[in-house]
Amino acid sequence: MNIVKQLMAIPGVIAAGEFAFRGDRFSYEGALTDEFARMASILCRANTLAINMQTEIVDSFAEGCGCRPVQGWIAHGNLVTICAVGNYFAFVENRDELLNDVMTIMRAKVGDIRDDLLANLYSKIGGDTREALY
Amino acid sequence: MNLDKMMDLPGAMAAFTYSDKGDLQAHVLREGTELTPQVLDLLAHSCVANLAIANMEARGWEAVTGQGGFQPLKGFSVVGLEWSVVVNGNCGVVVRNRDADYEAAFKALQAA
Repeated sequence: MNIVKQLMAIPGVIAAGEFAFRGDRFSYEGALTDEFARMASILCRANTLAINMQTEIVDSFAEGCGCRPVQGWIAHGNLVTICAVGNYFAFVENRDELLNDVMTIMRAKVGDIRDDLLANLYSKIGGDTREALY
Repeated sequence: MNLDKMMDLPGAMAAFTYSDKGDLQAHVLREGTELTPQVLDLLAHSCVANLAIANMEARGWEAVTGQGGFQPLKGFSVVGLEWSVVVNGNCGVVVRNRDADYEAAFKALQAA
């Protein structure tokens, strides 16, 4: 079973998806329209890139301190939380233990993100990603 | 703000407070950690930026999609390879990933 389907099987997960390198290629399941999933993919990719940049700066001051490569991020809203690990994202309801469970599953299933994913995210910006990636 | 209480969170390596501009104001570091006050200061600045961006995204998302529940933002976390920094308001905590309880961290930061 793929990661998105596994996430969607958890009660309280509203939507989950996978975004590709430019953010405009995506797949998803759950309570999003195609257009909202496209927007969510771009949002998640942009945040991931920004955070990766920040952790590179932090690492330059404390090499090997354990912050990079960045694995993901969590935006904790009032009733809904968005979490991203690697190039997967999930919208989850704020229920007891749900966020911890989702993060544990995402980290376990996606695996540790290595530099190559983020290098690809950078190197493909503006390029012909279709040929390289599909 | 009781930083020592924040250090009771599972896997806590550091707890800190920062100004609205992100300047580090107070901190507690677990003995033996690789983190330094300079790293915490950088993290605090990035956290202020990330909270502002996430707030903007939540606001925009609700306005464009009509979906609710994102605002007010109650925290943001960056998940690194070995540790995560969890922040809300003017306070943050760094927790080791293998022990991290994100929900407890967000709750503690809301109460702080």
